Amino acid sequence: MIGRLIDWLNGRLGLDTFRELAEHKEVPIHRHSFWYYWGGMTLFLFGVQVATGILLLLYYRPSADEAYESVRFLMTQVSFGWLIRSIHSWSANLMIGAAFVHMFSAFLLKAYRAPREATWLSGMVLLGLALAFGFSGYLLPWNQLAFFATKVGTDIPGSVPLVGHFVLVFLRGGENITGGTLTRFYGFHVAVLPATATVILSLHLYLVQRHGMSVPPSVEDAGGRPRMMKFVPSFALRDAMGWLAALGVLALLAALFPWELGRKADPYSPAPAGIRPEWYFSWMFQTLRMLPSRILGLEGELVGVLGITLAGLGWAIVPFLDDPQGRGRRARVWTWVGIIAIVYVLVFTWLTYRDVKR
Amino acid sequence: MSAARRAVVLALGALLFAASEARAIDTCYNCHRNETDERLVGPTRNILRDIHFQKGLTCASCHGGNPADSEATAMDPDKGFIEHIDHKSIVKVCTKCHADAAYMKHFNPRPYIFSVEEFQTSVHAQLAARGDTKVATCTSCHGLHGILPHTDPASPVYKTNIPRTCAKCHNAEYMAGHNIPTDQFERYSQSVHGRALLEKGDVSAPACNDCHGNHGAAPPGVSDITMVCGTCHGREGELFVKSAMKAGMDKLGKRGCVTCHSNHGVQHPTDAMLGVEKPGVCGDCHPHGSKQDRATAVIVGGFFGLRDSLTVSDSLLKTAEVLGMETSLGREAWKDAQDHQVGIRAGLHSFDAAQITGALGEGLELAHKAASQGRAALKDWRNRRIGMALSLIVILFLIVLLALKIRQIEAGQKAPGAVSERT
Repeated sequence: MIGRLIDWLNGRLGLDTFRELAEHKEVPIHRHSFWYYWGGMTLFLFGVQVATGILLLLYYRPSADEAYESVRFLMTQVSFGWLIRSIHSWSANLMIGAAFVHMFSAFLLKAYRAPREATWLSGMVLLGLALAFGFSGYLLPWNQLAFFATKVGTDIPGSVPLVGHFVLVFLRGGENITGGTLTRFYGFHVAVLPATATVILSLHLYLVQRHGMSVPPSVEDAGGRPRMMKFVPSFALRDAMGWLAALGVLALLAALFPWELGRKADPYSPAPAGIRPEWYFSWMFQTLRMLPSRILGLEGELVGVLGITLAGLGWAIVPFLDDPQGRGRRARVWTWVGIIAIVYVLVFTWLTYRDVKR
Repeated sequence: MSAARRAVVLALGALLFAASEARAIDTCYNCHRNETDERLVGPTRNILRDIHFQKGLTCASCHGGNPADSEATAMDPDKGFIEHIDHKSIVKVCTKCHADAAYMKHFNPRPYIFSVEEFQTSVHAQLAARGDTKVATCTSCHGLHGILPHTDPASPVYKTNIPRTCAKCHNAEYMAGHNIPTDQFERYSQSVHGRALLEKGDVSAPACNDCHGNHGAAPPGVSDITMVCGTCHGREGELFVKSAMKAGMDKLGKRGCVTCHSNHGVQHPTDAMLGVEKPGVCGDCHPHGSKQDRATAVIVGGFFGLRDSLTVSDSLLKTAEVLGMETSLGREAWKDAQDHQVGIRAGLHSFDAAQITGALGEGLELAHKAASQGRAALKDWRNRRIGMALSLIVILFLIVLLALKIRQIEAGQKAPGAVSERT
């Protein structure tokens, strides 16, 4: 019976194509193979986001009058509502963490070399989308901390000359953070970003499939071709083990550290103490805080915003700046750039949390 | 120079000019300031900062005489000069201007107009009329030859200085012979009002004049004491005025608020004041076993029951909050219950058992709701841990199964999962 159903579906959907693809897909085995799992881990956590996000949508009401109350209702009155929200929030953070690990490992292993430039670029766009998901989702519970953090966050692009004010008004839906901003962020979070992410993610997965896994130059130089592992079932089962472990970590975090709701946003109350952006923005926030007020006659914050933007663009086009073979002096310089970037992000993130503790 | 600084410089210049002009034409000041006899030079020491002098008045404004005459003829009693203004004349001299609304409007568009009629209602004026020269008159409180506006913190009638100014006379030594209490300042200093005003500088706290009046100073009577307290404690005063307790107290000649709260030594009221048993104050009038004692016991029991429920529910909610649980609904109920408790504290002044019991019931219901929310949050927290432990066991079991499956699949292969050399 099942066999006949599969045959019926195969005749119409061409499932054999996928089966052949899975049977033939292989993954190189070498000392850096561990880093191959981080893309799948990011994808899994994205899936968790989609599933829990849909469940949250059943109760969430996107207005300044009702948003906070609807999230509170979900957390206190709906069976497992607290779990869904906690997992959504924690998996968002873990997903961005996994995406960072995936990006830095791809950078250091030179996985962006030809012909994988487009894979790298699409990955960078996906990381940007993940950050946008985080920024827009942070405001949705409409609590005090999120309200003021969003105000600070949207003030930053506002400092850029010419386009800054337009960007600020576009993001906020006006001059100030209001119920209009909430509706706008909700629209970004549940419609614009998911639609864009679906397209870019499909492209990214297609490119990964098309070009296969990149083997690092150091492995290639060590001599001989690496042995290969079947994607199905060996790699996929190992992936599944990682995903189950991630699920365990999520359960642990959700139960031990349930995501706080805080107090409802009140635009007329003073900004709460310890206001800071989410951890993945904090290294940028700390950079802007530590800059002097004037640099070369320009506003320090403006120089900081432009500097970070240029650094991000430079990072995105590294496939075209580095040595095409990933070898030689230029390649070593870019490797050091990557190491310095990792250290910079870690140190400046730590500095933010050290300052908040004080 | 900013506009503000320019204004300050101009104002100072104008003051100096006015003072120097006054000095130039005021021969009283010009001569007396150079005298060596303290009796003669004394009045000039602080006169430059005197509000009257700064407004252009001179010595002659009160003492008469001719300030333009630099000879002894300036002080001719036949021309109206008064060398010494005696105690009973001081009020007349001051009211010559201060009771004249048209004149006072020259200095202030909204002037305080002294009411002689009001002053005559004061105990001070009544005693003065009987020839008592120790009794307070204008200069006793406001000073002389250096009088400052009451808004100047250095003025003896500035809010925080008033109790000490009154105590200059209202002390055992000065009041010897007058049969009135003299411990008011000591008691006031230790009271909730006194500590707020004198120690914290809280000018919203009442000084002597807020209850006794300024120029019509007199002890509040039996019937108006509630109105005096009710000026600030409005809700309590309003409820008490309508209560059966007030009517009963009036019949017995008891003085409303002060019967329970005392007057000058009033302390911050606490819940311990409730009840017949000490430190409760009800027992001061109502004996054990009386009808009132039995009625009070019900209310007091309910009140302390609400207080205990609030403590318990707060503790439960705090514990849940520390554990990261969402408790805002419980916390809202708790705050509502606390508002009820505050309302009941004021409502006790109605002495209406039915009304108080009803409010207590509502408060208790809210406190119980808060407590049950706290308990539910804690139960939920425990359940989450159990759920987490079970889910981790299942996840671990699945991981082990996967590991075994991988081992089974790869058994016999050259390397884990290796199937081929790259081609």
